[in-house]
Amino acid sequence: MMPDITQHGTAETKEWEPVANTPVILFDRVSKTYGRISALGGVSLGISGGVTGILGMNGAGKSTMFKLMMGKIKPSSGAIRLFGTDPWKNPAPYSRIGFVPEHEKLYDWMTALDFVTTFARLHGMTRDEATKEAERVLSFVSLDEVMHKRIGQFSKGMRQRVKIAHALVNDPELIILDEPLQGCDPLARTTIMNVIKELGAMGRTVLVSSHILHEIERITEQIVILHRGRVLALGNSHAIREMLDQHPHKILLDCEKPRELAKSIIDIDEVTGMSFSNPEKLLIETKHLGEVHQKLPQLIIDSGEKVTGIDNPDDDLQSILLYLTGGSI
Amino acid sequence: MTDEESLETPFDPVVSKEESFGAETPVTGKTKMQAAWSADSDDSNSTAQVASMSQGQIFQQIYQPWEGTLNPRWMRNWAILRHHVLGIFRKGHRPWNIPTKLFIFFVIIASMTDVALALLFGMIGEASLYDIWGVNRDNMYGHVMGFFPRNILYYPIVAALLVGGMISEDRAHGTSAMYFSRPINRFDYASMKFLSVALILFFIIDGTLALYYFADILVMGKGWAWIIDTFPMFIATFLCGIILSFTYTAIGLSLSSISRGRFFPAIGLVAILMGTRAMASIIDALFDKSVLYVISPYDAVAHVCQALIGTEMTYDHPWVWSLISVIVINGLAIYLLANRVSSLEVTRE
Amino acid sequence: MSNKMDTIWSKLDRKSTAIAEFTMRQYRTRVSTWVVMIASAVAIFLMLLFYIEAMNSEIEAIDNDGDSFDSDGDGYPDGQERMLGTNPNSAEDFPEGVEPDPPEKWINEDDIEWGTLGEGENYVGEDNDGDCKSRETSSQKDSNDNGIECDIIVDIDTLNSTINIDSDTNVDEDPDEEKYGKEAGHRSFILGIGKFGIVYLLGIFLPLFLATGLIREEMSDGTIHYMLAKPIARGEILLYRMLGYIGITWPFILSLCLILCLITGFTGPGDGFFRWADIGVWMTIAWAAMMVSLVYGTIFCGFGIIWKNGVILAIIFAAWELGMAFVSIFSGGDSSIRYMSVIGWGMIIVDSGVAICWPDNWQLIEAGMWGGGHGEENWLGLTDYQPLPGAEPLSAFSGGSNLGVSDWIAFVISSGVLLFQGIMAWFIGQSIFKGKEVD
Repeated sequence: MMPDITQHGTAETKEWEPVANTPVILFDRVSKTYGRISALGGVSLGISGGVTGILGMNGAGKSTMFKLMMGKIKPSSGAIRLFGTDPWKNPAPYSRIGFVPEHEKLYDWMTALDFVTTFARLHGMTRDEATKEAERVLSFVSLDEVMHKRIGQFSKGMRQRVKIAHALVNDPELIILDEPLQGCDPLARTTIMNVIKELGAMGRTVLVSSHILHEIERITEQIVILHRGRVLALGNSHAIREMLDQHPHKILLDCEKPRELAKSIIDIDEVTGMSFSNPEKLLIETKHLGEVHQKLPQLIIDSGEKVTGIDNPDDDLQSILLYLTGGSI
Repeated sequence: MTDEESLETPFDPVVSKEESFGAETPVTGKTKMQAAWSADSDDSNSTAQVASMSQGQIFQQIYQPWEGTLNPRWMRNWAILRHHVLGIFRKGHRPWNIPTKLFIFFVIIASMTDVALALLFGMIGEASLYDIWGVNRDNMYGHVMGFFPRNILYYPIVAALLVGGMISEDRAHGTSAMYFSRPINRFDYASMKFLSVALILFFIIDGTLALYYFADILVMGKGWAWIIDTFPMFIATFLCGIILSFTYTAIGLSLSSISRGRFFPAIGLVAILMGTRAMASIIDALFDKSVLYVISPYDAVAHVCQALIGTEMTYDHPWVWSLISVIVINGLAIYLLANRVSSLEVTRE
Repeated sequence: MSNKMDTIWSKLDRKSTAIAEFTMRQYRTRVSTWVVMIASAVAIFLMLLFYIEAMNSEIEAIDNDGDSFDSDGDGYPDGQERMLGTNPNSAEDFPEGVEPDPPEKWINEDDIEWGTLGEGENYVGEDNDGDCKSRETSSQKDSNDNGIECDIIVDIDTLNSTINIDSDTNVDEDPDEEKYGKEAGHRSFILGIGKFGIVYLLGIFLPLFLATGLIREEMSDGTIHYMLAKPIARGEILLYRMLGYIGITWPFILSLCLILCLITGFTGPGDGFFRWADIGVWMTIAWAAMMVSLVYGTIFCGFGIIWKNGVILAIIFAAWELGMAFVSIFSGGDSSIRYMSVIGWGMIIVDSGVAICWPDNWQLIEAGMWGGGHGEENWLGLTDYQPLPGAEPLSAFSGGSNLGVSDWIAFVISSGVLLFQGIMAWFIGQSIFKGKEVD
């Protein structure tokens, strides 16, 4: 599942020759320091195809990474390539990129259609082409009914979708979304997630940043975990978790008679321990989460106990980071 | 009920926990929010329940007014004032930007040139030069109201830098909500902002004036007769300094309250002060009419001050017109400020 | 190849109009834009009221040579007595058989009529009231010794820009203050409000308000990210934003000048129905203000890019320019430090435009400053002439381009210099913007 540095997409190029053997995004030992603070320290990364989630706590370097990609800041050392081109002082690659910034501020006085049309024209479209494209992307993010309303009247979720629409208007091959789900209600979240998934299914390279693992896991399994400016892990989220064998995983079962259930579960070899934190809860410890999850359903059915919930309490970013950093976040 | 195993939950599930707050609990900040919401009016303790993890529970919401003792109003206002004024020369208060601080420092030094020259020539005994720079009616007027460079390069620019983001940035950054979510009313907020800008200007203008006057007395060993002669002049000039700093602050802050960002109020203040004066002087030069000077805040104040201090009048129209103009300008500015602040929406714009 | 050029051009065109149009719409939604424009229009029309009042009020006619006065009290004004050869100071000596003239006839009775002057010595002037021609000897009639009786020698030396006026006694000695004062007041109003009010004040405050935040406000709002994520160079963004700024300010300046031109053209003095020559002056004023506001706008926008408190730099720069404005307006074009400023070149545009449209302007000033040749002798033995009303302001607000070239070339050169300054400001601004890390 790990993206291969050497793999390359069949990107259609417009004004320049394709650079062979390059992923869409390539970070080569990139560091960025602000004075004495290191925001990104020697990140090497290649990403191509599909949806990739960039995970990290606040200050992990997600936004710095995106800013570097968008040529807004200059790397202190190392090289960044988008489609084989250096983005610093060079806006050329942006004709194939859509970027959704994390800033919430929008031009409130414009209608959604105006906003998207204006920025579509910066791709060199005529006014008519731009309007047509804007209408298309606005209906893609299901804002077609309100596109003649002023953005100032929009809710947060709608504003996020306007931002996504403006980024999609040039039919980009690479879409970068900086915290697109932040501050949205569950409904807006679902809509935006569906849009992102759909984009991934259309074969685009999509980069989504977030600090919530579950959100990202609902969109994609391919993740990059950043922590303190370094790449901690990269690949399939479950695979990463599988690899963290030295740490016991926990499975929490909600059931009426945990002690009865425990008797049958003890038969699974992979289970290393069990405890009863609560009269109606059973906590299982294991180093092989996958196997246990495979065997568990059958065992529960066989035991005839009533189980009302299965949960992996350590399944969030924080616990993964805890494992990866050896307990010191 | 809990043990080391409960790492899996974000916090220890506690079924219920009693926390007590009394009216006498000191308002220290830490427990202020809790105290504000749950203390009784009498001395009895009340209970706050913390939800447990396992069951859901809906609380009946009964809010009782908090009637404990709050610091007196002046004390809270003093805190705001202090926060703004001390920020000029100390860390940990309002972070004025470096250029503003530097410029204020420069202006203070530059406004003391007359002090330095008067002392210099006084001490080396150069009588003719001391007469030019020493304390007299015209020089005191000039210290406060002199147009070039004081009222074109120094005081209006300081005022512009100070009022720049005074209210508008609070609105733009959403920090005004921090004030209004505390027991501070809008009037106090605005008047303390006003006072802090006016005070800084006052210190610069009248502080250096007082230094000029008293340094001359002390160093030159002026007698009582001289002091009795000049003291009324000094008081009049001092009053002029107050009027001047009040007027600049009023116009600047009203501009700050109607705008977003820091550019508009700063440029607006400079534009109003310089633009009206320039207009009036064009008309004066072309048609020999000085009446348009009443719309220039600087000239209106200068005219009133000429009357107060008793220097030669440089305007042709009666000084009462300028007095009315000063009152009208300040009244309009204060009205605008009060109106805007009272209807300010506490949102991040 | 040409096809390729077409696409590049049309793409550029689409991007430029998109940003320019966007910028103009953005200005339109801001209250501050309207406040600034309305306030400046109100200020200028307030000054216009003073002009209209001045144009409609009488200028007191002054008897410059004092010959309407009846010194001896015999009923005959001195001028009439002098012309008819009787002694104005003796009550017994008066022209007999002639009706005494009313004193008003001897006020403003000999206006300045110089025609068009050229390089070198000009012999001009006409003794309208005949009090020169009535003198007895020809040496009295020709006191300036040029062999022509009752004339004025105006010696013009362009190289040293000196003008020497030597008149025979009692020629053009009592000019019409009303006529001169109205004309001079009209012109000096146009020059005063044009140079200081429009070219300097409007030319600097419009960009201060409207251009300083053109990029900086987008940066502090975070909305610049939308634009920076598009395939468009930052230099282009700056250029097209400036285009939008011009799209708002230039029509405003132009229409303000046109309205002022119409009002003053109909109100102003003159025989014709409309003062056509003024149109050219107003247009040069508008052009200078437009160019100046473009250069200032680019500079201030650059200050905003460099530093988040760029407004401080802008205000300091504006103070320098204010000093330069005073120098270039009131030095009459003699200072060379004004070449180190923007406003100095703007003033050269106006001055050369004035010289083209009002070729007699300098002559009007000289005649007014001479004012009939009356005055007191100063310690050098020269006469300090008493100027006519309006001559001094007109002289103060007028100036020459002093570039040593013809007025048309001066106009072109100064416009070119301003354009160059604008391009340089854009170039520096965009190279800073390009290397700027935008958070």
